[in-house]
Amino acid sequence: MAEKVKLFVNGQEVEVESGKNLIDAIGAVGIEIPHLCYHPALGADGNCRMCLVGIEDGRPPLVPACKTMAVEGMKVQLDTEKIKKIQRDIMELELINHPIDCPICDQAGECKLQDYYMQYDGQKSRMTVPPVAKAKHMDFGAGVVHDQERCVLCARCVRFTRLITKTGELGIVNRTDAARVTTFPGRPLANRYALNVVDLCPVGAMTSKDFRFKQRAWFLTKSESVCQGCSKGCNIYIDHNKEKYQDDIIYRFRPRLNQQVNGYFMCDAGRMTYKLENENRLNSAQVAGKETNINDAIETLRRAFSQAKKSVLVVSPNCSLEQMLAVKKLAATYNAVLSGYSDGYINIGDGDDFLIQDDKSANRAGFALLDIESSKSGFEAALAGSDLLVSFQNDLCRSLTDAELTKIQETTKLVYLSSYKDRFSEIASITLPVAAYSEDTGTIINTDNILQRYGAAVIKNVPTLNLIRVVNLLGGEFKSHEEVLTDLSATIAALNNIDLKHIPSEGIALTDKEVSNVAA
Amino acid sequence: MQVKVLSARFDIPDAHKIEVAKENGAYSTLEKVFSMQPVEVIELVKQSGLRGRGGAGFPTGLKWSFLPKNNTKPVYLAVNSDESEPATFKDRYILVRDPHMMIEGIIICCYAIGSHDAYIYIRGEYTTQVKALQAAIDEAYAAGYLGASVDGKEYRLDVTVHRGAGAYVCGEETALLESIEGRKGQPRSKPPFPAVEGLYGCPTIINNVQSIASLPFILTNGPDAYKAYGTEKSPGTHLFGISGLVNKPGMYELPLGLPILEVIEKVAGGLREGRKLKGIIPGGSSTPVQTPEEAQDLTLDYESMAAHKTMFGSGGIVVLDDTVDIVKLVENLIHFYHHESCGQCTPCREGLGWMLKIIKKIVRGDGTTADIDLLRELCDNIEMKTVCVLSAACTMPVRSYLNKFRHEFEAYVKSDASCQTAM
Repeated sequence: MAEKVKLFVNGQEVEVESGKNLIDAIGAVGIEIPHLCYHPALGADGNCRMCLVGIEDGRPPLVPACKTMAVEGMKVQLDTEKIKKIQRDIMELELINHPIDCPICDQAGECKLQDYYMQYDGQKSRMTVPPVAKAKHMDFGAGVVHDQERCVLCARCVRFTRLITKTGELGIVNRTDAARVTTFPGRPLANRYALNVVDLCPVGAMTSKDFRFKQRAWFLTKSESVCQGCSKGCNIYIDHNKEKYQDDIIYRFRPRLNQQVNGYFMCDAGRMTYKLENENRLNSAQVAGKETNINDAIETLRRAFSQAKKSVLVVSPNCSLEQMLAVKKLAATYNAVLSGYSDGYINIGDGDDFLIQDDKSANRAGFALLDIESSKSGFEAALAGSDLLVSFQNDLCRSLTDAELTKIQETTKLVYLSSYKDRFSEIASITLPVAAYSEDTGTIINTDNILQRYGAAVIKNVPTLNLIRVVNLLGGEFKSHEEVLTDLSATIAALNNIDLKHIPSEGIALTDKEVSNVAA
Repeated sequence: MQVKVLSARFDIPDAHKIEVAKENGAYSTLEKVFSMQPVEVIELVKQSGLRGRGGAGFPTGLKWSFLPKNNTKPVYLAVNSDESEPATFKDRYILVRDPHMMIEGIIICCYAIGSHDAYIYIRGEYTTQVKALQAAIDEAYAAGYLGASVDGKEYRLDVTVHRGAGAYVCGEETALLESIEGRKGQPRSKPPFPAVEGLYGCPTIINNVQSIASLPFILTNGPDAYKAYGTEKSPGTHLFGISGLVNKPGMYELPLGLPILEVIEKVAGGLREGRKLKGIIPGGSSTPVQTPEEAQDLTLDYESMAAHKTMFGSGGIVVLDDTVDIVKLVENLIHFYHHESCGQCTPCREGLGWMLKIIKKIVRGDGTTADIDLLRELCDNIEMKTVCVLSAACTMPVRSYLNKFRHEFEAYVKSDASCQTAM
């Protein structure tokens, strides 16, 4: 734990963490200092001047809180008339050249200018002269659209491309009120994290081409989840809305702060995986190319199990620990061989040293924990002599060539339980829809051995059965997620001391030893 | 009234050439300087009472002593030759007429502060001056006063001339450092101050050309000789640039402490015949204006200026007579500072543009009394809320004109805008 210092805010003693600036230190105990340009991940720039505070004794009369460290005994003034007037004056100046086009601005509802106007300003406009005109619709590339007139020149976006991605595509050109954020000629935003500037922008100057004009922020339900685009497991908000007479639709993913995993950011590719949750979903069961009632399909599969000479169950590295364990137990029930073969989910060389990982699956670490074999040789050995292959969410087309698949199909019946339509769902003779992760709960372990839990965010008008339930209907022993969790805690040594039902939102870091420690 | 301390060689033909300069005493202090300890040089400069000639008037020797002790990083000297404040034209004379005086000053300063690399930041528009300066530096290198060994001593000193790109704000010392480092000229937040963390993150002293050029005299003749000029708290001499509506505008070297009205009358030839004094800008466009009444007991030194709620500034005196339209003067003033705002801080970036539009509205004849009040209020709302003092350099004088000449602004909003107003 960091050292604590005692200081006074508006005469009241508060205890805060030392080594932090006043915005963070005092903010942590619930006292807000308004700021636009400061962002914890981007450091203090000190250009917006909204965080000016008074410090009594021996200091200049006004200091920017973002650049002032909390020090023992410091007397910070926030509520004096002088400071309130400064905040009001700065807000007035922020707004004189702002278009105030909130009705058509995507940021409306989550805009710092709106919030601060209500909280710190509230005066009528005194502008009787024309505002500065700037460019309204600039395609910066990478799906980012910029409105220079809305921009408050806080330079968060500029600092992001300089400090975080180190690509430096953005800069502020010109002086005075002609200053504007722009790209260099012929050099658009071209990094894999560019859409973070949309989140970073405290106003509506940076918008996402994908999201803009689709939804008002206040209609969106913001559900906490974990991105499954790769093995990093970036913490996200799933912003979704069920409009009247419509289904529950996801409109965007946004990064959610977790210093242990992803910090404040996520990659653009992961951000766009929300589309998979809406579109191209496997919605109905099919047997031999015909749409079938889900119960009939389950019945057909049960029969196939009992008739099969040798069954192989293949589980996806995207499955949660609960799903993996349920499938593992089902394999034991039917005396089937279990494989986690999924080499095609790994895209070697695609990862970077920031967030993006080579492994495009969310829970490969679960294989080690649950002792699930996932090598190609193991898979081929399992396949030998088999006449039934049941894949649980594992798109084997990613890992196998067409020739290999054709060869398997000659002797083996393919069954696929999946949330998504993909190539494997096209060739499987039985397909069964299961809930996607945005509709299900689960526990996963990321590439850094951090155990995380996500909850169901979306409730569809016609809910799809979750995988645990389908496995139960197929003869599996677990009736609910809770039962699996209890079993996991009891049987997996590494999880013995962890209350899986109450994993903190920042996750639990497991040691390497714990993750590779196989249950007895 | 005029004296010849800094300008001693200004009128000697070819004094910008090293042979002529040397014949007339240039570089003659170096032997003495190198025989002293650096701390002794600093002490001597402190004793002389020399104050920074860039405008702020901070004691030069004291500034040097802020360098961190037990420092292991290189120390830099940056000579501020940006001279961009409107009505200021003193340093250019040094650069062209006696550049070796400044180079000698740089050697003295660098020895005192332990610096081996000095940068001269010169405003981009000074094309003649930069040529003269570079020629002098080349001569000094050739003559062995700069380079691997200064004047035969075991002391390396390299001087680099860095030309600005035309931004007033680069005269602000940290914007100047940003510009030397190759970035957009924007002031840095302080602390840290440059003496601790300046150029390339290293301790840096930034001095004005005239401050540096004053050093050879002080080292040659001693602090007492320097203090013989000027007042107790404002010792020495200053190159004053007197402009505006006087008969003999020009650059004059004067001891500090002289009555401003006497200087205007006796040195600058007084006002044109039949004209009345309306106001005086005492030290560059950013200093609050003085009315003739206020100027009665105003003397050219830091204390008197402060007592009159204005500033000594850069010594650029502008004399305004009764033909001057204060409202249009203010429009010009705001136009300049708006144009030169670096655009970093919200109040300055947005506020000066707003002020410019309001004053233009008033000049156009579309203004109201409320606009005058708003202009006045904006001065308070913007001032001292920013990283640097550029915004204050605009609001301080504008406030003074609005307070002291309000009737002229009111005449614009009440009646025919084209009419000139008399005192």
